[in-house]
Amino acid sequence: MKALTSDPLGIVITGVGGQGNVLMSQVLGRAFLAAGYSVTVGETYGLSQRGGAVLSQVRVTASGVLGPLIPENRADAIVSLEPLEALRVLPVYGHPGVTVITNDRPLLPLGVLSGQERYPAPEELKSSLAGLCGRLYWLPATAVASQLGNPILANLVMLGALLATGLVPLTPEQIDAALGDLFPAPKLALNHAALRQGLALAREG
Amino acid sequence: MASSPAVAPAPPPGGGLARLRAEVLDPGLCVACGACLGICPHLIFHDGRVAAPDACGLDSGRCLDLCPQAIAPGPEARRQELAQASDAPWWPELGPVRQAVWARATAADLVGQVQYGGVVSTLAALALELGLVGEMVLTQAGLDGAPEGARVTDRAGVLAAGGSIYAAGAGLMQVNQALASDESHPLGLVGLPCQAWGARALRAHPNYPAARRLQLVIGLFCTLNLDLRRLRAVLDQAGVDQPILRADFPPPPAGVLELTLPGGLRQIPLDDIRPTVLAGCALCPDLSAEAADLSVGAAEGQAGWNTVLVRSAVGEKLWAEALARGLVEIQPLPEETRGHLLGAAQAKRQRGLMAGKERRHV
Amino acid sequence: MSDLTRLTPGVAVLLQGNQALARGALEAGVALAAAYPGNPSSEILESLADSASSAGFHAEWSANEKVALESAAAVSFAGVRGLASMKQNGVNVCLDFIHNLAISGCRGGLVLVTCDDPSGVSSTNEEDARFVARLADLPLIEPATPAQCLALMKYAFELSEAIGQLVVLRSLSRLSHTRAAVTPGALPAGRPRPHWDPADPAQRWATLPVVPRHRVMKQKLQQAGQLMAQAGLNQYQGPERPELVIVASGSSVLYAREAIGLVDAAARVGLLSLAGTWPLPAEILAQRLANAGAVLFAEEIDPFIETEVKAWAAQQGGALAGLSFHGKADGSLPEVGELTPGLVAAALADSLGSPWRSVEAGYLERARATVETLAPVREVGFCPGCPHRASFWAIKQALAVDGRQGIVSGDIGCYTMGHRPTGFQRVNSVHCMGSGLGVASGLGQLKPQGFDQPVVAVVGDSTFYHAGLPALVNARWNQSDYLLIILDNSATAMTGFQPHPGTGLTASGQAGQAVELEKVCQALGLAVEVADPYDLEATQAAIYNAVRQGGLKVLILRRVCALVQGRRGGHPFKMRIDPAKCRGESCGCNRFCSRVFRCPGLYYDEKAGRAAIDEVVCVGCGVCRQICPAGAILAEGEGEAAA
Ligand SMILES: Cc1cc2nc3c(=O)[nH]c(=O)nc-3n(C[C@H](O)[C@H](O)[C@H](O)COP(=O)(O)OP(=O)(O)OC[C@H]3O[C@@H](n4cnc5c(N)ncnc54)[C@H](O)[C@@H]3O)c2cc1C
Ligand code: SF4
Ligand code: SF4
Repeated sequence: MKALTSDPLGIVITGVGGQGNVLMSQVLGRAFLAAGYSVTVGETYGLSQRGGAVLSQVRVTASGVLGPLIPENRADAIVSLEPLEALRVLPVYGHPGVTVITNDRPLLPLGVLSGQERYPAPEELKSSLAGLCGRLYWLPATAVASQLGNPILANLVMLGALLATGLVPLTPEQIDAALGDLFPAPKLALNHAALRQGLALAREG
Repeated sequence: MASSPAVAPAPPPGGGLARLRAEVLDPGLCVACGACLGICPHLIFHDGRVAAPDACGLDSGRCLDLCPQAIAPGPEARRQELAQASDAPWWPELGPVRQAVWARATAADLVGQVQYGGVVSTLAALALELGLVGEMVLTQAGLDGAPEGARVTDRAGVLAAGGSIYAAGAGLMQVNQALASDESHPLGLVGLPCQAWGARALRAHPNYPAARRLQLVIGLFCTLNLDLRRLRAVLDQAGVDQPILRADFPPPPAGVLELTLPGGLRQIPLDDIRPTVLAGCALCPDLSAEAADLSVGAAEGQAGWNTVLVRSAVGEKLWAEALARGLVEIQPLPEETRGHLLGAAQAKRQRGLMAGKERRHV
Repeated sequence: MSDLTRLTPGVAVLLQGNQALARGALEAGVALAAAYPGNPSSEILESLADSASSAGFHAEWSANEKVALESAAAVSFAGVRGLASMKQNGVNVCLDFIHNLAISGCRGGLVLVTCDDPSGVSSTNEEDARFVARLADLPLIEPATPAQCLALMKYAFELSEAIGQLVVLRSLSRLSHTRAAVTPGALPAGRPRPHWDPADPAQRWATLPVVPRHRVMKQKLQQAGQLMAQAGLNQYQGPERPELVIVASGSSVLYAREAIGLVDAAARVGLLSLAGTWPLPAEILAQRLANAGAVLFAEEIDPFIETEVKAWAAQQGGALAGLSFHGKADGSLPEVGELTPGLVAAALADSLGSPWRSVEAGYLERARATVETLAPVREVGFCPGCPHRASFWAIKQALAVDGRQGIVSGDIGCYTMGHRPTGFQRVNSVHCMGSGLGVASGLGQLKPQGFDQPVVAVVGDSTFYHAGLPALVNARWNQSDYLLIILDNSATAMTGFQPHPGTGLTASGQAGQAVELEKVCQALGLAVEVADPYDLEATQAAIYNAVRQGGLKVLILRRVCALVQGRRGGHPFKMRIDPAKCRGESCGCNRFCSRVFRCPGLYYDEKAGRAAIDEVVCVGCGVCRQICPAGAILAEGEGEAAA
């Protein structure tokens, strides 16, 4: 069991209902548990499948029991499947040194779809995020996933990118193992591929 | 020329649906002419009633511009504009009038299908036959007895819509829908005075070029119209069975609404009917559909005849053709009747203008 | 979910709090588990239902929580173990039974789980259901972690059996939905055969005579207190003579522990973690508070322990009476909303006189200002293709045309969102399960006094069976005048598609006996009409005609939930916008489809200057094509479907 970069380690995973972030946090949790860490995965959902924001928190420590909530402004990494949601959690979990890894594909809120509100321009959003964190990974995860054949795979691309940050002492193989039998074989192979593409993407970027 | 009393004050900036609601719909002054319907999904019509369920978020719109019940420009300004535009002799009580006669249709198959002399149906059918218009919009009873606009293209269609229904049917909605189609033929309308004014606004609206296709308006005389749902309640109360074959307000001193039912005649006292009159009609100063090309009403004391006012060049052309073909026969409008008509028109104008003075922009 | 009997004893796995509770019940040998779905409690019964056939017991979704608890109590009367789980609101539904049950007592282990929802994340209220323990003299257990969920569930059954009384176990949304390592124990080899001896006077489960039995009820609580103290449910950690002791329960135990670390006060502050909170653990409280300078209470929702400890301390007199108490009452912690480690840390630091910040100065302000200016809110709404959107559209249109300012009383389910923009704000009141019908029943009596507005009640199929029926019977009996619209989407969609009486499927997916809405309403002598909400015009006409006619009527709007339809192979159409027909900004409708109808499948493409279909989001229900004034929304596949 490798030492954690910080103990407790706190990872916020956010996005919009239906993007598959609950799966991400579960897989990450299983991988940590298998690697011998003590892990707590907290999920907030309720109305989430109806278009609201969904947030999970993965907390890891070498030993002991952690609560479900990362203390305010103490996340080590924020992984977001939607760029606006990355920004939204910063006042709660961010700090000047936090690592932000976000998908660049916006999902427009209803108020924006209906023309009453405005979604910020990508550059504006990107520079605002950069100004509020230590490291920013702004990644075309949905595009990469679509190339692989299914936009939902963006969650594994993002998980791969998280591994590339060096914050998480887990190997792609450990994640593969945690994915276990969640999917039938052909789909599992795609998930493994998405994970590795995410890793490569973040290393380049 | 009419004297020019104070014209309504200029409306505050911003119009559209919000103002239409504030000025007309919410206070219950809509007369369901249909001018605002069929052009925008925010206004709907069902069972005799116009409603606007949602805000449209725009501060201008044709709905308000076309509405004859809106405060601006107001009946006086509107009438002045008509007087200026018209080259017919101007009667202070009845607007532009080239000819005023009594008339009735000669065709035998109209009997029982029409209200009085059948002039309206005759002219509507003729306009179609002549190709003056490709389509006429009339008002007829729908399946549930509620009046609604009907787009017809031949004489049979016209006859099916003969007779008067004393409830608002928003016929201009069908005009708007016809104008939205890909067709290019001219269009005609049979309508009440409010609808004739709505039609005139349609044709003049700068953002409604398609409305130039509307080329013939046959107006009906009108003193009042009824709210369908309230009327239905009164008739239910009185135990009147549907269908109603014909309805009429016989001239005073009858004091009744006379209904022809399958089982015979039935009279409902006017006192019972009065609460069903559309509140908006109280604001209407126009008895004779001045904005039409030709207007038709009852002939006082002469059952089975109509009073006809020929107003515009288009109306005159159609009228001449009807005479030439022997489709109508005429007799002069007696002096005494003419006096009564002028008096009635003047009285309605005064009542309407007076009621309108109370209105304020919100 | 999954079959929890397949876990290997002794091998740690990640389990959700709710799954751990379910596993605990399995290990305790539960014979009957019953529940009514409601976040955050649903996964308990879901997991048990998935395990029921392997483990050989009965698990069911009941028509409501009261029936669930009554069923569980019944098996306890027969000497075996019963469990009823629910969200906080459900406890209110059971209340009358609970108080009588507490007097009658029971035999086999009987546990009621309430999952409270601080901040009302998936609830209509923020209620602390622990009051029921105080009210009915019931032992109260509050686990803090998933591992404790399992252990304390087993303990709760034992305790219940030991004293012959219902035991309340309180979870929280945070705990119920948190996954952490849990090490399962062994499953029982067998289960006692249920039997109820009618001749045994000790097995007469009734409340009479009340006073002596009430006395027994009090004694049982006292006995529970002793047993809980022996079991060592409550722990103290910290210095012997602390400046301050944090008294915490539930998730707050973990927040408190973390807070002590955050403000670096381990040497000065002790933590009293309570898992057995009612009756108050007087012994350990007396021991630990006597040496403390001050007390800070950390607990979710109401100051339950805080109030009781303060009252108890005042009675004790001496050092205890002189303690200074901090918590929700003095504003150290907020009275509403969920607690967090930071809130507890700040309260602790304040009590110790040394302010604490979660992050360096300026960061919070900058981050908040950026979110405020850049981030539009993510409003919740009906799913693409949701039949409720169509239903509320028809209600809105029909009531507008009616023009008498109709009132819609709403109920609990996805369609509660009818009061939000997604439902055109066409719901005027919402309270609890079934109350929409009761409210309508009262309003519908006002006509003779001049109330001329039509009244509509909107209820889901599942909610109708839960608590709507008695209200409808009342309305029929007393001749109330309203239109009941039952939104029949054949699912308890809000909480995760559990079956209900109308679907005829049971919790474990077996065929039960369907209870048909039409027949139930017709049996009450009511006129029943059925319409398809996807057909807007027909639905509008049905609603309009019903409110015009007046009288008590039932209209069933039947169309399966869009998500369920998605699982069943999806909707029929592929939608597109006809670029020749959509007039964009020149239409005058001002983006009617995307702005007013607001299905997330529709948006306005600013670049193209016209409406567009988001092909990823749109499910192809075809409803929107009925609302475009220009007929620009086309449904491909329509021709084929008709042919
Ligand atoms: C509401 C109402 C009030 C009237 N009030 C008066 C009055 O006070 N004094 C008077 O002299 N005449 C009045 N009339 C006109 C009169 O009833 C006859 O319509 C007119 O004299 C023409 O007679 P006709 O025999 O030529 O009609 P027909 O040949 O039978 O033609 C009648 C035409 O009227 C149309 N129509 C029927 N109902 C409506 C409606 N609700 N809205 C619009 N168009 C309709 C039909 O489509 C048909 O084309 C009124 C008509 C209506 C509808
Ligand atoms: S009077 Fe005519 S234009 Fe005015 S609101 Fe009514 S139907 Fe529309
Ligand atoms: S067809 Fe229209 S209403 Fe249905 S899901 Fe697609 S966009 Fe929404």
